[in-house]
Amino acid sequence: MATTKTSKHTSLYEFHRTHGKMVEFAGYDMPIWYTSTMEEHMAVRNRAGIFDVSHMGRVDVTGPDAAGFIENLFPTGIGKQPNGKSVYTLLLNEDAGIVDDLIVLKVEEGKYLLVVNAASKEKDLRHMERVGAGLNFKVDDITEATTMIAVQGPSAVEALQPLTPLPLAEMKRFTHAFSTVKGIRSVITRTGYTGEDGFEIIVHDAASGAMAVWEALMKGATPCALGARDSLRLEAGLPLYGSDMDEATNPLEADLAWVLSKDKRSYVGWQRLSSLMEQGPARVRRGIVMDERIPRHGFKVTDKAGEDIGVVTSGTFSPVLKRGIAMGYVKTPSPQLGDAVKVVVRDAPSDGKIAKMPFYDDSVYGWKRKPHQQ
Amino acid sequence: MSNPSPYKVPDGLFYTKEHEWARVTGGTARVGITDYAAKTLNDIVYLTLPAVGKEVKQLASFGTVESIKAVSELYAPLSGTVVGTNQELTNHPELINQSPYDAGWIIELKHSMLDAERKTLLSPSQYEEFLKSLDAEHQN
Repeated sequence: MATTKTSKHTSLYEFHRTHGKMVEFAGYDMPIWYTSTMEEHMAVRNRAGIFDVSHMGRVDVTGPDAAGFIENLFPTGIGKQPNGKSVYTLLLNEDAGIVDDLIVLKVEEGKYLLVVNAASKEKDLRHMERVGAGLNFKVDDITEATTMIAVQGPSAVEALQPLTPLPLAEMKRFTHAFSTVKGIRSVITRTGYTGEDGFEIIVHDAASGAMAVWEALMKGATPCALGARDSLRLEAGLPLYGSDMDEATNPLEADLAWVLSKDKRSYVGWQRLSSLMEQGPARVRRGIVMDERIPRHGFKVTDKAGEDIGVVTSGTFSPVLKRGIAMGYVKTPSPQLGDAVKVVVRDAPSDGKIAKMPFYDDSVYGWKRKPHQQ
Repeated sequence: MSNPSPYKVPDGLFYTKEHEWARVTGGTARVGITDYAAKTLNDIVYLTLPAVGKEVKQLASFGTVESIKAVSELYAPLSGTVVGTNQELTNHPELINQSPYDAGWIIELKHSMLDAERKTLLSPSQYEEFLKSLDAEHQN
């Protein structure tokens, strides 16, 4: 748990250091919790929470060849999207292995902002350089010059609206707009990593204005740290790059085939993907809910007879379900929803079931919830 | 550093460097985890406890305690036989966070080697010093 001297600090570090329990994460000193992961988690499910996600990589891609480059880079058609869309997609290698998952903000044709995983950023930049060799475009890493804050939960609009003239309630999910937050030039995107409605704001002039934005947001939202970020995304069924997928995982296995545009035939990884689509995946990412016990990364999954069928890649205790939940990979043909499986918890085969993701009832929690219901 | 420790370390208990405590009353001892351990784990949500009648050895694992994020072993401060476990914890593991030295006790032991083993445990002041040394490591 000791932090290394070389760890980087976000512009909100002083707040984290004085209010939170700190850990080293992807090269940054970050808070793992402020008060309690459980309280922070439920604040997001019931009201609103704010997260410093400045460690995530933010990269501008512009230039005469940028549109063609982006089209070749991603399995999702970005060109056909209207300006102002925020698109979840994947970076793939030639073998269709997942290099990273990310959000691409299509500002306009030829101008994009990519939000990538902190630990993958350098790798992503090298990958982009290789794929784009010979093309005329520019990549600007704006990570250090900006602060990124996620505002998440059913009250996210109410928490953020006092700080910006942008009419937030009118924004559609997975769109973005340029505006100001507390008078500072910002990008606001209606996206997140919790399963809830909410926004991610990229605030320019990071050093001077970020703390004032954070403190103003605290009037309507609870500060939340990495522990809650992980339990929230897992409860929502959202995979974590590096744990639930990596370059040895393809999108069909990761249950992310929905990001592949059906009409696209020409991008990095397509050839391999097209043959994989004919074969079908040998294993697939699934959710598991436990009767008792808490599944953890690396635990084996067996069928009810005890035969090995896979492995847990993320596991935690779900604050909403009050049970252990996991996602992991099981071999195909995979068990169906509701089928009994076992997770081997420290030598003890423990009962669970294949479950839908998100794990919670999405009419009660998450962005699809019915209004005025808790 | 002359700052008072932010963690409670009550008098009259024996402590381990693994952050368990033992409160000896006659032939038995109650065992739990310290305030430092509870605060470091954060949000305790699940325990696995030994059956009554199980023999435990000093500093051997007798169960686990889990937070949302992680699993930790529980180590016995004393050798003996388990004569009781705190049933309240099954439905309310958060009692350990709320009251690590009282309502959050974990097991009760009939100790078998108290005279020899008590010398190997830390006194409250020794445990406080130990916590300070951990804190100093983290500041570097």
